[in-house]
Amino acid sequence: MISSIKKTSLAEIKARLEQHPIEAVIVGTGISGAIIANELTKAGKNVLLLEAGPGTNLTLQGYNEFLSNFYGATSKDNQAPYPVNPNASMPRSTNLRKLQPGETDSATYMVQSGPYVTDTNYTRVYGGTTMHWEAKTPRMLPEDFKSQTLFGQGVDWPLGYDDLEEFYQVAEREIGVSADVEDQSYLGVTFPKDYVYPMKGLPLSYLDQQVAKRLDGTEVELYGQRYPLKIRPFPQGRNGIPNDKYDRGQGYVPVGAVSNHQIEIGERCQGNTNCVPICPVQARYHSGKTLAKAFQRATGSIHLLVQAVASRVVIDPVSGRVTALEVKVYKDPKSSEHETVTIAATIFVLASNAIETPRLMLASGLRSSSGLIGRNLMDHSYLLSWATMPEICGTMRGTSVTGGIIDLRGGAFRRHQAAFSVDIHNDGWGWAVGSPYSDLTTLVDQYNLFGPELRRGLINRISSQLLLAFMIEVMPSESNRVTVDPQYTDQLGNMRPVVSFTVPEYTMRGAAYAREFARTVFARVGAADQSRYDPGDYGYVAYNGQGYAIRGGNHLAGTHVMGNDRNRSVVDTNQRSWDHPNLYLVGGGSMPTIGTANVTLTLAALCYRSARSMLDQLQ
Amino acid sequence: MSQLEPFLAFSAEVTAFPIVELQGTGQAESYLQTVEDIVGTQRLDRLLVLYQSLPLATREDIRQARADRLRRDIFGSDELGPIARNIIKLWYSGTWYELPSAWTEAYGPAPQDVTFVVAPSSYVEGLLWTAIGAHPAGAKAPGYASWQWPPHIPPFAGDPAATPR
Ligand SMILES: Cc1cc2nc3c(=O)[nH]c(=O)nc-3n(C[C@H](O)[C@H](O)[C@H](O)COP(=O)(O)OP(=O)(O)OC[C@H]3O[C@@H](n4cnc5c(N)ncnc54)[C@H](O)[C@@H]3O)c2cc1C
Ligand code: SF4
Repeated sequence: MISSIKKTSLAEIKARLEQHPIEAVIVGTGISGAIIANELTKAGKNVLLLEAGPGTNLTLQGYNEFLSNFYGATSKDNQAPYPVNPNASMPRSTNLRKLQPGETDSATYMVQSGPYVTDTNYTRVYGGTTMHWEAKTPRMLPEDFKSQTLFGQGVDWPLGYDDLEEFYQVAEREIGVSADVEDQSYLGVTFPKDYVYPMKGLPLSYLDQQVAKRLDGTEVELYGQRYPLKIRPFPQGRNGIPNDKYDRGQGYVPVGAVSNHQIEIGERCQGNTNCVPICPVQARYHSGKTLAKAFQRATGSIHLLVQAVASRVVIDPVSGRVTALEVKVYKDPKSSEHETVTIAATIFVLASNAIETPRLMLASGLRSSSGLIGRNLMDHSYLLSWATMPEICGTMRGTSVTGGIIDLRGGAFRRHQAAFSVDIHNDGWGWAVGSPYSDLTTLVDQYNLFGPELRRGLINRISSQLLLAFMIEVMPSESNRVTVDPQYTDQLGNMRPVVSFTVPEYTMRGAAYAREFARTVFARVGAADQSRYDPGDYGYVAYNGQGYAIRGGNHLAGTHVMGNDRNRSVVDTNQRSWDHPNLYLVGGGSMPTIGTANVTLTLAALCYRSARSMLDQLQ
Repeated sequence: MSQLEPFLAFSAEVTAFPIVELQGTGQAESYLQTVEDIVGTQRLDRLLVLYQSLPLATREDIRQARADRLRRDIFGSDELGPIARNIIKLWYSGTWYELPSAWTEAYGPAPQDVTFVVAPSSYVEGLLWTAIGAHPAGAKAPGYASWQWPPHIPPFAGDPAATPR
């Protein structure tokens, strides 16, 4: 596909600012910013996009450099492809350590003030965190929107499933979701008659099938109710086989790789097993695909300024309206040299994610009259359990995850303990213990194997790995929060986010059950449990006499919560700030609860809904 | 004199991949160079000379004797063992792993001895992926839906699972 995405220089932007007033400034080029930009340009609005990162991946060459960085990196963690940028830093899991009670660790960009240390992360580059997301795209369950009423937990949303259903469809179109309605209609999730996903579901992996063969049709009992189990495929934001029934028989044309010149790659997912941290062929959705559409359509009315870090929101104290955004534009990631520019617009949209958006508001001294900016930070808690299957299952092939167990995403047990969704990882024990590299070093250095015994040993050990990742629900709690502190700043002098987090007891009850559940699954499939949680692990949480290594979920939410009551929420149902009528805070931060759905599809749906309100305001 | 030939012979025996496959990765020269740069040509020479002096394995009993000598004289050597193990790990993963600190204390310093990926292509060419019938994450993608079928694990000479001893 051809597109004309290009960066605009600061000088050009300044010149334009004098002639054409900007209608909307959008901070961030992740999926939230991209959707809003695309919707506003469709209506002919004049949009300026600000991106903190350098935007080198606008070209295919730049994108491929990320891939090459990844190949050459010793630590193949989530952020391995992305160069260090002290002017727009991001959290990185490789630098974390366990905290002593009361201790704060400011060695990483995202200051950890504990007690729990989270390895959650996000990416500050062009395309935002969709550059390395895994792209699972389940909808939230209808019951997730009413967890206070139904289960006495968390809060109810001011919107329901039915309010979002049409926007879920739009988001599924934009992301290009591969799934089959039959597999995704469960626990009250409904679709309009005749709806099909844009592309057909990705098949379950051989590993999934080996688990399913022994597990499907069995049940577990929880608080007196029985739950049947079944391995199901997840909906995925990656290109599969287009469904010709889509759009009442009009079909769907997948979006391939995008770049600022024409290229011919990136149609169907080829099973690179590398969606996180970067898909080599761009089969997996990233927000550059949405932005490419906006730029192609609206050259002239959309501009992108990169290396532009929004640093302060300036308010008129009388009306509460935002008058301008102060932006630090740097020349080189290595140097703090920058120019501060002030940008005025009719509306301002902060789409810089659920950590960076509250960080910017708080750094601007804007706490919201509800006092809730930065509070109610949520993220899924992950618990991993891993085992050896009784036979070779071909682990290390396919997308990171194709199938899992969703039967305990919903149910009456949620009165007592958190729900969870279970992933079967096609990449084996990688997340838990660093497989397959750790297997190699163990067999060579510890087991003293070489030659044919080593080669066979590796096959037996790696190809039979099974890892279950439990994505456990976390309810909002005001003390889980993002703050800022003038003693912690980055190279540009911007205050860094400080995160305080305690894994709620409700979640830990879910985690304890998850561990039991994993044992049951392993028993049923005949797998040898290998899980162990090291008390020295940075994410170690003790609960009821047991210890668990809890991982962050990268599903950040809650920090500018939406609601109908301006005293108990930061934004309204259009994600518009109650205090500042021309300011929108969009993204996961608006979500009151997250249930057991990876958040992006839902936050994308919310952005489509909000774009309508922005257009009304800009009329 | 180039050490490539004995280096490949040794590598083939300890990785259980034939020389042609090792050559096919295109990494042989850069791995040899890496080892020489880090531990020194002389030390590697010594390892390879020792290797070449092992009894030839033509019969089963001699095969065993050869494996025992390999284990005792090379893998069991405080000085050469860690290098031999690193050569295996290089081929399997494309990564040079920092030598154990006991080695560096006794035989160091080796200033370039840090864990690193030799080149982006050496990651992609790691034997690990071939051995298990998979592919390096992020490269050599096997194709849409290939993951739904059982893996094709390539057979190899001396596989203990194929020829129980
Ligand atoms: C490893 C991983 C796997 C994931 N897998 C899934 C999954 O399977 N399914 C799912 O639903 N979700 C997944 N997620 C979460 C998903 O990636 C995020 O929810 C989503 O991308 C958030 O989009 P966003 O646009 O709101 O924020 P982001 O994508 O974080 O975008 C924020 C943008 O703002 C820019 N920015 C930040 N600060 C400033 C500033 N001060 N000035 C200017 N620009 C700024 C950033 O550079 C970035 O472009 C995953 C995340 C990770 C890390
Ligand atoms: S499995 Fe691969 S080709 Fe498919 S989306 Fe992931 S990285 Fe891309």
